[in-house]
Amino acid sequence: MNITERMLGWLDDTVAHSSRNLARRSSRRRFLGRLGAVLVGASTLPLLPVSRANAEGPKELGDPQSCDYWRYCALGGTLCTCCGGSVTTCPPGAEPSPISWIGTCHNPVDDKDYLISYNDCCGKATCNRCFCHRSERDLPVYSPAKANDILWCFGTESRSYHCTVAIVLGEATT
Amino acid sequence: MRRSGWLLLLVASTSMANIEPETIGTSTMAKPASTWLMVHGALGPAYVFDTATGDMQGLLSLSRFTPAVETRVDAGELYAAESFYSRGPRGERTDLLTIYDMTTLAPVGEVELPQKIAALGFLQYIELLDDQRHVAVYNMTPAASVSLVDVEDREFASEISTPGCALIMGTANRGFLQICGDGSLQLIRVDANGDESQRVRSRKFFSIEDDPVFDKPVQTPEGWLLTSYQGQVFDVTVDGDDINISEPWSLLTDDDKTDSWSPGGGQFIAYHESQDLLFVLVNADGEFSHDSAGSEVWIFDRSAERRIGRLSLEHPGTNLFVSQNDAPLLTVTGDDMQLYVFDVETLTLVRTISEVGWAPGLLQGF
Repeated sequence: MNITERMLGWLDDTVAHSSRNLARRSSRRRFLGRLGAVLVGASTLPLLPVSRANAEGPKELGDPQSCDYWRYCALGGTLCTCCGGSVTTCPPGAEPSPISWIGTCHNPVDDKDYLISYNDCCGKATCNRCFCHRSERDLPVYSPAKANDILWCFGTESRSYHCTVAIVLGEATT
Repeated sequence: MRRSGWLLLLVASTSMANIEPETIGTSTMAKPASTWLMVHGALGPAYVFDTATGDMQGLLSLSRFTPAVETRVDAGELYAAESFYSRGPRGERTDLLTIYDMTTLAPVGEVELPQKIAALGFLQYIELLDDQRHVAVYNMTPAASVSLVDVEDREFASEISTPGCALIMGTANRGFLQICGDGSLQLIRVDANGDESQRVRSRKFFSIEDDPVFDKPVQTPEGWLLTSYQGQVFDVTVDGDDINISEPWSLLTDDDKTDSWSPGGGQFIAYHESQDLLFVLVNADGEFSHDSAGSEVWIFDRSAERRIGRLSLEHPGTNLFVSQNDAPLLTVTGDDMQLYVFDVETLTLVRTISEVGWAPGLLQGF
């Protein structure tokens, strides 16, 4: 989610550089073609047009507490990795939103594209650490499944936004 | 110690005897001028400034979920969709349309809404319809709908389901337009009770995958202006039951495109009505830069469809606001979270306004 759209809007040079590099290497249409159908809701996950990641997950490099980490290519919000959680777990006491938006990010280690689910963690005060806003393949709010400019604490006890995780759903396939 | 304490009391008593004691009071806010704006923080309050002086005029205490504020200057009222939990970040949820008095900035009325209001700052998440009676509030659960409130009678009127379409752009005859995910627009009209009376869909005029239009339309005297990620500009008008969409013109020349310029930023576009000028934040960051801060503001003569000025920003800009007076002032939120106010005629910086609230977001006029 983008609770701090404006407060976050402030990509540091490293992030911007990284994003541009990734953008240069990637074709927008190719990614959109791979993204395929609308992807909303954890309940729909079994229907996603992806091949599940293997048990070990993709090989990765980078710092999950940094906005230029490869999984965060379409994340807008606060990184849960800086707030007592991890890249796949909410911090203590926060409730994961079962509904998310989906990005497609390129993993530079294996040179493959992966579908990433950005789930907000909710029900606590905003963490306000490690703001991150990247917009690769992000679409306007009238296309919500692919929009990060939405507070994605839906289906939770409280809409209060805490932070965001980035979960690999699987390898993006055409 | 005790002796010095008595001495101080004696001095204080002596001083009080020589002047009229002051009393505490509460200021009221003057009627907003065209150079006034609200700076809406990402997590709540809106700070009111006069960009002609840089002075703060007051503060609206808004919920952390409030997307934007609607103004009705003639009635002296402001309307805000708000959402609260009974215990801070948790507890029982209440969604409201709150009516604020424009003089005291205090709430003077509340209408309870379905617990669905869309959060985050978008100007077109709330709209006062042209009957000056119904306020429409955009909902997202994530299913899309619109709540209608009668602000004269202070009562909830209806909820209209709008699957696949978002935003609220007011049009004539109690109508509003929405942008839809299939590349079309939707026109909805309501009757005098706020119930849906008409629904029309336009032709598809853009590709969501190839070049979507921003979710940040601007109102023009004739209708609405939409801009695409790649700088295509569409004029939208409504004539009876027809939604008319112009052939697009481009903000960008071939050379601009070669140099990777494109529009972008949180609130990247502003329009001055009487001079028919468009102000657009642009960056040269290339693909996926629609949210990136702009390194320049480009100024366009809308009717001539051509650029007439460029303003280079020392601090890249995220939000724009232009005052609607004859000597317009352009306000840009810098990435250092200060407001930079420029004289449009000379394109010179006239003042900087700092400490405009934590995480400043939308800039709104009155």
